[in-house]
Amino acid sequence: MSMFADIPVDVGVIYEGERIRWQDAYTELGGPRVEHKFELVKVRGMDEVEDGKITIIGPDIKDLEKKSYPFGIFIEVAGKDLEEDIEGVIERRIHEYVNYIEGVMHLNQRYDIWIRISKKSFEKGLDSFVYIGKVLQRLFKSELPIIEKIQITFITDPEKVKEKFKEAMEVYERRDARARGLKDEEVDAFYGCTLCQSFAPTHVCIITPQRYSNCGAISWFDGRAAARVDPKGPIFRVEKGEHLDPLRGEYEGVNQIVKMKSGGEIQRVWLYSAFGYPHTSCGCFEAVAFYIPEVDGFGIVHRGFTENTPIGLSFSTIADSTAGGRQIDGFHGISIEYMRSSKFLQADGGWERVTWVPSVVLERVKDFIPKDLVGKIATEKDARTVEELKQFLVARGHPIVKRWEAKAAEEAAKSMAVAEEAKQASPTAAIPSAIVTPAPAADLTVPVGVGAGSFRFILKNAKIRAKRVRIIRVKEK
Amino acid sequence: MRLKIDEVKTDIGSIKNLEFSIGRIIEEAWAEPMGPTPFPSLTTLREWDMKLLQRYKPFYAPFCDLCCLCTFGKCDLTGNKRGACGINMAAQQSRIVLLACCIGAATHIGHARHLVEHLIEKFGAGTPIDVGGLNVNVEAPITRLVCGIKPETLGDLEEVLDYVETQLTHLLSATHTGQEGSNIDFESKIFHAGMIDHVGLEVADIAQIAAYGFPKADPDAPLVDLGFGTINAEKPVILCIGHNVIPSTEIIDYIQDNGLKDQVEVVGLCCTAHDITRYYPGGKIVGPISWQLRFIRSGVADVIVLDEQCIRSDAFIEAEKVKAPVIVTSEKNCMGLPNRTSDPVDAIVDDLVNGRASGALILDPEKVGKVAVEVALKVAPLRKKRKALPESEEIIDMAYMCRQCGLCRRACPQDLDIPLAVAAAAQGSLDKLAELYDACVGCARCEQACPVDLPVHSFIIKAGERKMKEEIYKIRAGRGAIQDVEIRRVGSPIVLGEIPGVIALVGCANYPKGGQEVAEMCSEFARRRYIVVLSGCAAMSAGMHKSEEGKTVYEAFPGSFDAGGVVNVGSCVANSHIAGALIKIANIFARRNLRGNYEEIADYIHNRVGAVGIAWGAYSQKAAAIAAGFWRLGVPVIVGPHGIKYRRLLLGRADKEEDWYVYDVRTGEKVYVGPVPEHLFLSVETKEEALVTAAKLCMRPNDTTKGRSIKLTHYIDLHKRLYGTIPEDIHLFVRTLADIPVTMKDEIIEILKEKNWTERVIPDPTLLPRLIRKKPA
Repeated sequence: MSMFADIPVDVGVIYEGERIRWQDAYTELGGPRVEHKFELVKVRGMDEVEDGKITIIGPDIKDLEKKSYPFGIFIEVAGKDLEEDIEGVIERRIHEYVNYIEGVMHLNQRYDIWIRISKKSFEKGLDSFVYIGKVLQRLFKSELPIIEKIQITFITDPEKVKEKFKEAMEVYERRDARARGLKDEEVDAFYGCTLCQSFAPTHVCIITPQRYSNCGAISWFDGRAAARVDPKGPIFRVEKGEHLDPLRGEYEGVNQIVKMKSGGEIQRVWLYSAFGYPHTSCGCFEAVAFYIPEVDGFGIVHRGFTENTPIGLSFSTIADSTAGGRQIDGFHGISIEYMRSSKFLQADGGWERVTWVPSVVLERVKDFIPKDLVGKIATEKDARTVEELKQFLVARGHPIVKRWEAKAAEEAAKSMAVAEEAKQASPTAAIPSAIVTPAPAADLTVPVGVGAGSFRFILKNAKIRAKRVRIIRVKEK
Repeated sequence: MRLKIDEVKTDIGSIKNLEFSIGRIIEEAWAEPMGPTPFPSLTTLREWDMKLLQRYKPFYAPFCDLCCLCTFGKCDLTGNKRGACGINMAAQQSRIVLLACCIGAATHIGHARHLVEHLIEKFGAGTPIDVGGLNVNVEAPITRLVCGIKPETLGDLEEVLDYVETQLTHLLSATHTGQEGSNIDFESKIFHAGMIDHVGLEVADIAQIAAYGFPKADPDAPLVDLGFGTINAEKPVILCIGHNVIPSTEIIDYIQDNGLKDQVEVVGLCCTAHDITRYYPGGKIVGPISWQLRFIRSGVADVIVLDEQCIRSDAFIEAEKVKAPVIVTSEKNCMGLPNRTSDPVDAIVDDLVNGRASGALILDPEKVGKVAVEVALKVAPLRKKRKALPESEEIIDMAYMCRQCGLCRRACPQDLDIPLAVAAAAQGSLDKLAELYDACVGCARCEQACPVDLPVHSFIIKAGERKMKEEIYKIRAGRGAIQDVEIRRVGSPIVLGEIPGVIALVGCANYPKGGQEVAEMCSEFARRRYIVVLSGCAAMSAGMHKSEEGKTVYEAFPGSFDAGGVVNVGSCVANSHIAGALIKIANIFARRNLRGNYEEIADYIHNRVGAVGIAWGAYSQKAAAIAAGFWRLGVPVIVGPHGIKYRRLLLGRADKEEDWYVYDVRTGEKVYVGPVPEHLFLSVETKEEALVTAAKLCMRPNDTTKGRSIKLTHYIDLHKRLYGTIPEDIHLFVRTLADIPVTMKDEIIEILKEKNWTERVIPDPTLLPRLIRKKPA
């Protein structure tokens, strides 16, 4: 028996992308023409919710005309495992579920909702919010069994919408403040996601309040909700365990789970660093932070950037050097949201270490960059080569420049010492061991003078005939 | 290089009489380690083929019971009989399929060789292979995978062609009497032919993209004109038919260099048309290959230029009937015409314009450009007054002669009711004839069958003339490759269950009920947020239909490789980008090495990438070869009803549980995954069956629960809508309760209970034991 046999129109995922044009609409709820509209989910006590109840305040669908109405959907849920923290996650499903209804289009979320009901579906009998309420209640309870009771109120009475709208705005604000303010230190568990393992079998995403999933699609709250709803699913709880390294973000529990879920491929993870044991990169990360040795800082490039970065490589090439569930020193797949986090590359100096970002990305995250850095980070408009980047950083007084000076002084002191030792040992290039540049095919040099160990060779009457000789450039070690 | 050292003594060593010679030095900047199978020979990948063939057993449908290839024969192979050489029916059928695939591969490889040689001559061997600028890192995924080399310039492609030509010779030789005797080994060789065919396709298309500046992996490639109605018949019209764009580019160059852009129409049929618009957005695509007779007989063309492949053997004779001069341009298709390559342009033009010659063979493309344009300019004013098709009254008169013998209908591959339409014409109404216009594939077998020699096909064209003139559409010019970044972008929606699969609508135009069905399948899948890719004639047919809003699929959907995108990659040879995109997925998401690593990548694609090809109107040997290349990669292909004439299918048996085990890379255990994908090659009868089957064949063992849930949603929904029932095999595809589509939970759980369903694990799947993860010490 179908779950929706008593609903006059069809309900299915295939209606999700359905667009209803104004000429085909029976009526419009919310949308850009009205000021007050919202949808809100609140978690209540078990005895505060009457399961299955649907209330309509104001005219029902059949009494509406073809115009835009102020509108509110207010959903109250109860369940012994429900917490206020996942209200937002439940709320976002409204969009998905309403769209499953044939002839109902739902756009946006929260105070921005925009719903149209098609003439066709109205004519088929979709004339009451009760049907929409029933669909929502059944889908919520079937998909999120932690919801034990659910009651829904639809409001079309303009005064009542306005009143409830104010309340909803306060809830959103409180929720956002909590989400923004929530620190990794304040929670007892993170969440892991192995969805990408279907394509990148060694990748394990660790999602913390301050570190979104690489793809930018799953927050800690989403992870928490998903793990609760389907404990055996691909998103799971990760006990933090001992906090081994607060600066780099190494957690005993994270190491354990990553080791297990990657089949032993990955042993350790530093969540807040691009060096050493950086978080693995899957294939669908939104952006990459890449180390630029010449400026001892990072560049960031996102998927939408179609030109070359100052190091002469495109997003594709840079992404290719780190993707596939690997840990690559200095090349780090990340989400845009992570750039807004105060833990962002914390161990490496955070934003102070970032020297170049495409202007589109910079615009999206500018409110989260330390004030004194504004104008000091270059974009493609300022620098197209490493040389131009250096000049820009110096001209604008980027804090990285101080780092060069400090480093130069240190190097000078070190090279004095090295010079002393060199008399005994063979000379090798002094490249910091933690930093390995990938092989940008264009400007690698063949290592000269390698193999200083001593040997003798004697060739007598030798004839070497090669049909074909391949000369392969080797990576600089 | 040669080096001789008589005697050297240094601190670290000494040398005496050293001779050092090197044949060729290749500087290699590609750091990727070489995989196990670069330049594979006929048997290198045999084991992989056997794995697939064990699961997808060949099902033979002999199109002919006899073998008549040698003089021992003809031999009757029915029942368990063997022929004079000892061959049995299964081996003979697969042998013919191999022969067909060799013909197909030879055609593409020959085309590629011609292109590469010509382009090297014109642009230089050092011309870099740029197919997508910075957004394409992997320029030649198939070549990297198969050959283990990374071509950087046009010159580098020659080595690749040397390899495929050698393989092709060996493959063809295997079809000689008294060579291969096992059908399964023939099948393995068919896969090999398909694989080298794909290499040939890729070489041809990346060479022409790079040298001619075709759209480079551009999702916003320009919308260009499609359809007979877009031709401005007031102007001189040059119609190019075939697949090899070289002569067409010279025509276009000549027009542009001489300021004739607004004075001459350059239009094309079949893949040459695709490539004309990739070269020159002012060019027009008249339509798919099957309709060439229709377009020639319409008389609209003032000059007809033929290159190679899929051209009607009687194109010249038909052109003569409408007094359109013909220029043939390919060594492979000379049509009995005199070779005028060395003659002065003026002399050839003069002969063609004054009717002293009705055609010429010109093997110098530049000369073709000049002659075609000059002739078109001169003959157009004379030709425009001529009428080509019979008038309605003439048709009515002629229709009286019809004896209603029904032979035309028997000859018609579509079983169209031609006698009824001709009878109606005799009564004065051409409506019935006009109705045939859409479903007619344009073969004109009706005319050959007619005992009173009625030009039946011309009747249909005349009756459908108004429709033909209303064929005004837009198609997005072939964009070529898929960008690496586009593939990255769809990663997350695929695992999160927002994109149910990749559907490739490809191939020729031997449709069972006309091209509209291709357009309908295209929009059905795009609306359902599949990624739809198209090529060749199927890409044209998909554009020759408008939605209620008056938009073609190319106007209604974006051209990006993304959910709901409708992506025209280009001509036949651009099919390589479809295979290439699948190969790149393994490289991009799992960072699997491509270089000479065929088996592992095919295993990855077969187990993980939910892609299905639908060649609704496949007819040619080339289409067979292209399909074979997809089979070896483990990608299922569906063909329309005429596809059964390819003689054999590769069918899985869902009822045989033992066929559907894979290794779990994580544990090494064998895990039952259900029949996914259920078949590797099958023919279906109707559009509805194609839709349901394609949705089902998108499932793969690695699907996340969200991915499986969305795939099942579409499979079940289409089944319900089109057949009116819930599919009987759902329980085979549900692994855990989370796989069940959200809105169908109750009813599916009931079905699962009835079938005694139990929960199963979702493995990290492979068919290759060597990929099982070693336990860390």
